[in-house]
Amino acid sequence: MDAQNYLDLLPIILLGVAFFAAAVGALYWCAKRGQFRDFNAQASVIFTEEEPEGEVSDTFPTKKKR
Amino acid sequence: MSTSPSNSPKENPYSSASAKVRAELSEIDASIRTAALFFVTSAIVWLLIGTVFALLVAFKAHEPNFASTYEFLTFGRVRSAHLNAMALGWTSNVIFAVGLWIMARLSRFPINHGGMLLIAGFFWNIGLTLGIYGILFGDLTSVEWLEIPHYATPLLAISYTMIGVWGIMAFRFRKGDHVYVSQWYILAALFWFPWLYVVAQLMIIWFPARGVVQSVTNWWFAHNFLGLWMTPMALATAYYLIPKVLGRPIYSYYLSVLGFWSLAIFYNWAGMHHLIGGPIPVWIISAGIVGSVMMVVPVIVVGINHHMSVVGFHKEVWHSPTLRFIVFGAISYTLVSLLGSAMALRSVNEITHFTHFTVGHAHHGVYAFFTMIMFGGVYYMMPRLLKREWPSAALIKLHFWGSAIGITLMVVALQTGGWIQGMQMNNPDILFLDIVQGTIPWLKARSVSGLFLTVGHFAFAINFFWMLFAAGSVRAKEGPTLLAKIKEGGVA
Repeated sequence: MDAQNYLDLLPIILLGVAFFAAAVGALYWCAKRGQFRDFNAQASVIFTEEEPEGEVSDTFPTKKKR
Repeated sequence: MSTSPSNSPKENPYSSASAKVRAELSEIDASIRTAALFFVTSAIVWLLIGTVFALLVAFKAHEPNFASTYEFLTFGRVRSAHLNAMALGWTSNVIFAVGLWIMARLSRFPINHGGMLLIAGFFWNIGLTLGIYGILFGDLTSVEWLEIPHYATPLLAISYTMIGVWGIMAFRFRKGDHVYVSQWYILAALFWFPWLYVVAQLMIIWFPARGVVQSVTNWWFAHNFLGLWMTPMALATAYYLIPKVLGRPIYSYYLSVLGFWSLAIFYNWAGMHHLIGGPIPVWIISAGIVGSVMMVVPVIVVGINHHMSVVGFHKEVWHSPTLRFIVFGAISYTLVSLLGSAMALRSVNEITHFTHFTVGHAHHGVYAFFTMIMFGGVYYMMPRLLKREWPSAALIKLHFWGSAIGITLMVVALQTGGWIQGMQMNNPDILFLDIVQGTIPWLKARSVSGLFLTVGHFAFAINFFWMLFAAGSVRAKEGPTLLAKIKEGGVA
């Protein structure tokens, strides 16, 4: 490869550009759709009636009491 | 601030007081049960196979004649078989199980037509089996992380497409406007992985680019396999399960979003630091170093977030099988990533390059971080899918200590020995053979660490298959997802 010939690297460079553009595009979509608002409420959406906020939902299994 | 009712936890249908809506969670768990069980079973089988390969390789490193009678057991082949069994067998199968399960739950969308997912998973494992067979019998390529022969890779690519699309479909038809940070990580990874894999295959194997471009592509793929496939899936699991188990929202949702986007923007370049000193344009390496150092931002952000989320809950963490593994993995993420950023600096890299330090670093990331978190994910997911409890707390503890001691010993041994090796290799007064012999005690320590890991993996496998097949001997779960009853009931 000619040390001065960067054309061989073009696919990699284009990929990097495309990758960056996709990330920026997705970031823009998020901002537009309100994904960066009301963080406190958004952090709580994982909780359900069955696995509620304020309750530990996983412990080591214990032996049956006889 | 958002005023959307769907974003309010109290009004969110996901937390509805309606039994019908609450049943949704059970429906979602049921929709993915068969496929997830298949993927976890496959993952554990590959984990055991990969462990056997790893032990062979570890012993061969200090006992070169060990089990070398047959060609298929020679170091080069077994080492590549180990790497691919772990990377595509263990990690990818467990990602398909836990990642898709979390995505379906957060999207509140069941995995419909799970039979198709099962078939895709079946072909993924057939392709991988064919690939590992090809590696062992001499058809491997010479490209690290892409050793699987060309006749097996199209099957993997097509199977992946059929698997990944389920996660994307769940996201596409999600209920509610909000996208939780774990969904971002999983969705992004589901796009990143095929991009990485197909481009690397095309540019290196099918239509090889000229000269060093192959090396650039190789390390772009290999490093991003860790950073843009395993890392986001593990972080998604941690971000879902740490707050979920503790019943406490993540410390700062703002930081979690910042962490995701900074990873998305900076990580892609990081792999180029593997080529420091190589015959490629210096600006590419410099950009890679900048990307690697900038990764300090998401790492610190994630580290603060995870740490602050468990502050005051240390007892709960220790008493939860899930969090015991996940918090170990989260701490490891901070350590391995900061170390990785330091290793990208030219002054450090000139010592660590071409040494066992890098091998230790890779295991630090793939095992201490990724694998430990996914173990935690499996410990949480399985009782909810099977509606049964884990049969043995003792086996869970044995698994944890085997894995924790094993990986800690391995990382310390390889990185200490590797650093000494690197310092000596930069000293022209020391004979190369003396340096090689100086690494032997550290390599023996690595073999011992492998024994600890093996014990842990077999404890995990026994507990899993016991739970899976001996339904009558383990305590049934009474609710769809509750573990709170465990304290009142117990196990056989």
